[in-house]
Amino acid sequence: MTNEHTIRNVVIVGGGTAGWMAAAALSRYLDNGCTKITLIESEEIGTIGVGEATIPPLITFNSMLGINENDFVAATKATFKLGIEFVNWGAIGERYFHPFGSFTQDLQGVHFHQLYLRERKRRVMQDVSSWSMSAVAAAMGRYARPGVNARPPLSGLNYAFHFDAGLYAAFLRNFAEKGGVRRIEGKIVDAKLDGERGNVESVVLTDGAVVEGDLFIDCSGFRGLLIEQALGTGYEDWSHWLPCDRAAAVPCSYSGDPDPFTRSTAYEAGWQWRIPLQHRMGNGIVYSSAHLSDDAARELLLANLEGAPLAEPRHLSFRTGRRNLAWNRNVVSLGLSSGFVEPLESTAIHLIQTGIARLLGLFPDRRFNPVERDEYNRQMQGTFEDVRDFIILHYTKTKRDDSEFWNYCRTLTVPDSLTAKEELWRAKGRIFRDELELFPTTSWVAVMLGQGVIPEDYEPIVDALDEEKVASALEQMRLGILQTAERLPTHGEFLAEIVGQRPAEPELPEFVF
Amino acid sequence: MREDRISRIVIVGGGTAGWMAAAALSKIMGEIPGLRIELIESDEIGTVGVGEATIPQIQLFNNLLEIDERDFVRATNATYKLGIEFVDWTRLGHRYVHPFGFYGLDMKGIEFHQHWLKGRFLGDSTSLDDYSLAIVAGLQGRFAHPRPDQPNSPLSKISYAFQFDASLYARYLRRLAEAAGVVRTEGRIVEVAQAGETGFVEAVVLQSGARIEGDLFIDCSGFRGLLIEQTLKSGFEDWSKWLPCDRAFAVPCELGGDHLPLTRSTARPAGWQWRIPLQHRIGNGYVYSSAHVSDDEAAATLLANLDGQPLADPRPLRFKAGHRRKPWIKNVVSFGLAAGFLEPLESTSIHLVQTGIAQLMTLFPSRKFDALEIDRFNAATIQEYVDIRDFLVLHYKATERNDSPFWDYCREIDPPDGVAYKIDMFRRNGHIFREHVELFTETSWLSVLVGQGIEAADYHPAADLLADEETLERLAHIREVVAQTARMMPTQDEFLRHHGSKSEVALRRAS
Repeated sequence: MTNEHTIRNVVIVGGGTAGWMAAAALSRYLDNGCTKITLIESEEIGTIGVGEATIPPLITFNSMLGINENDFVAATKATFKLGIEFVNWGAIGERYFHPFGSFTQDLQGVHFHQLYLRERKRRVMQDVSSWSMSAVAAAMGRYARPGVNARPPLSGLNYAFHFDAGLYAAFLRNFAEKGGVRRIEGKIVDAKLDGERGNVESVVLTDGAVVEGDLFIDCSGFRGLLIEQALGTGYEDWSHWLPCDRAAAVPCSYSGDPDPFTRSTAYEAGWQWRIPLQHRMGNGIVYSSAHLSDDAARELLLANLEGAPLAEPRHLSFRTGRRNLAWNRNVVSLGLSSGFVEPLESTAIHLIQTGIARLLGLFPDRRFNPVERDEYNRQMQGTFEDVRDFIILHYTKTKRDDSEFWNYCRTLTVPDSLTAKEELWRAKGRIFRDELELFPTTSWVAVMLGQGVIPEDYEPIVDALDEEKVASALEQMRLGILQTAERLPTHGEFLAEIVGQRPAEPELPEFVF
Repeated sequence: MREDRISRIVIVGGGTAGWMAAAALSKIMGEIPGLRIELIESDEIGTVGVGEATIPQIQLFNNLLEIDERDFVRATNATYKLGIEFVDWTRLGHRYVHPFGFYGLDMKGIEFHQHWLKGRFLGDSTSLDDYSLAIVAGLQGRFAHPRPDQPNSPLSKISYAFQFDASLYARYLRRLAEAAGVVRTEGRIVEVAQAGETGFVEAVVLQSGARIEGDLFIDCSGFRGLLIEQTLKSGFEDWSKWLPCDRAFAVPCELGGDHLPLTRSTARPAGWQWRIPLQHRIGNGYVYSSAHVSDDEAAATLLANLDGQPLADPRPLRFKAGHRRKPWIKNVVSFGLAAGFLEPLESTSIHLVQTGIAQLMTLFPSRKFDALEIDRFNAATIQEYVDIRDFLVLHYKATERNDSPFWDYCREIDPPDGVAYKIDMFRRNGHIFREHVELFTETSWLSVLVGQGIEAADYHPAADLLADEETLERLAHIREVVAQTARMMPTQDEFLRHHGSKSEVALRRAS
């Protein structure tokens, strides 16, 4: 039952990925006959939305909205993603895989990775990724959706998507508009605050139209039209930990089956992403402008495409960090307006999704009880910091010493929260996670080992398990995963089932006489 | 079954040759009622199994056995091979590749190389290598399957072989053979029983006392030739005057260096070194002449020229180039090292086993063991050895190297008639003739003749059917198409990484 305190008007400012994700979710969950949702966007203002890679929780977001996954894959030219391959990160010439899903089963309550750590002291072991269903399938270019009744090892396969963010926004817009969201085309020129509480009362468009709201959701991008420009919330700068501050993105053509994973290749002063979609490859270079010029970055990017570029490279500048308060007064910021962490672990969309889910969980009424806002801010700060720490780990735990950039990263002082994690890992390979932490144990283990951080010892309780039995169990699990992976369809075949076509082969040059 | 049919085949020895024979015989003849195929091997006796590099003909063998290529590549840690790179053979610092497949494109009814020779006379100094997709792609580490559906693309006829772990291959074939009914008996043979009158082998007796009788014995016992030599005294035709290398050290090492889909052969002061990259390690070996270098020095040279840490101590091998005078005597047929030995310079060891098996299938005997059939088998087998020998001698003979007594010796070798004739014909105006059905094609001879620095004095007059300018334009076009196509091929690493995949690894768009 709604009452006089129920929020009547939610105004979403900006219609990129963040704006339409918020609109779609709110249209489904605030369908109470009372709350109206309006989204204001201007076609003149571009969205950032470069070819996006995601992480598995997006499956939850889609199913929350009741979106059919196959429809979504077809509409957004999506491909499936089983993890991220990191090239040249630990050292030049090294590569490792950060898989989704967990490593194979634990034995008698002992974590798999502890068993693995003991085994690798005893004998030469295959790479730890051999025990990840997702990693093994990815290496073979195979994919299948594990059903809800999947049994091990297939149940260990977890996935996310790569998709065209522009198409995803269009897909969600369609969903949101069907759900009653009103879209207003226009550019905002002013925001009016109420004198008493300092809340945003309304926004004014170029044509003079005034749009009033109880709750504003700021999805206006880096500039933070309401959260920063109107409310002066302030920004916590993390660039001393994460010095990359520029990016250039360009799509290119490719042919054949798309890889079911994102690739990140480290360079002397940054890294390049490679995100295969159905119809094109998304590429981008993220770099530190103090160590690499824009021209050099652009050249590096273009020299490392595997097909013809399909547009001019687009340059972006950013500053890593987060808005001091993600929710200030009656404005909740989502997406780039709430903070920015480079997309090394594909977290941009996840941060939006988490913001939306928490906003729904702590949805206010017109009285704006500060308890709800404070809790929201506490949780969002935690998540941003989790992402930050995990990204910093990639840069600082490296043997690379081939450039000033890497020397800087390797020797910087990391946040205390990360130091604590590293020390626990280094001693006996322990990973402890708080309840709300984003990255699961598998992620930490994969990246720690991948970056070359090998614990000095393993947990003493492992020694209660017989070495030979463990060795043979691990070998069985490894073979089980391998054999299961071999039976999966290729990623291309699976996609063809869904969207009904395979990517075209390029034409071979011919002898013509 | 008719009375004179073979009903018991006994294979002696279970290395690569033994299991190849077992797998093939059981596949083709396994379902003949009453036929029993038995293989005897002893775990105590190691196998030589260094011949890890192959030539494209192995695909015929694998196809015969209905072996799935992906499964085979995975099971044997195999890599792909587009040819052999010869380093320092012609002179120090020189290199060329003997590719599988073709150069360029035949035009106006004459071979491509005649147009290339003409181009040289016109001042076009481009290397023959630039016209072979196998070479251009191979040197870039790239590989793709042939595309017969694109007949005008050089990829239509790219030809390839494999490099694999020979012991894993033997194990793979063993599984197939046992599934097809071959009975494996573990044991060491201590006695061979012959029929008093005919001298035919009746049975072999194992250390355990077990007596295994057979109608047809296949000797795959290695260098010693347990049946063909020790029992039946076939005799050995010694070719060491033409091929003086008589020892080798073999050692595997960790992965390192490049990942090209090529076998590499590097000439050394007293022989040559092989490098065979597999998925999990690199096979290496130094084949040398003991008259020209000591064992210790040879081992040291080998260890000093590895791309990764050695994974074992170098294993010594001794041999003599040549073949059994009669590879088939009475009811004993020999394959593999029991039949003869030619150094693995052109990766022919496994191929010789395969052709032996094919000849045996063609001329499969009855218990009467017809002399005419046996003679034909022996003549064909020996011809195969002779053809390969000639091709190998070419590598040693046609060199400019004069930096060691070994190379001085090789340069001065009086070659077999066949080799001298081929060199002379090519010198005239680039003639290359493939005699009878010899293994190495015109392409192979061309590649090594040119690679080893033999110059043709003229080209075939028919090449002038194309105007000079047209010749040069066409040559440039062929080079360009080859180069573009290579750029579209995936690297071998990518190819192998996707190898579990049912669909082909994609060609990339040339950018």
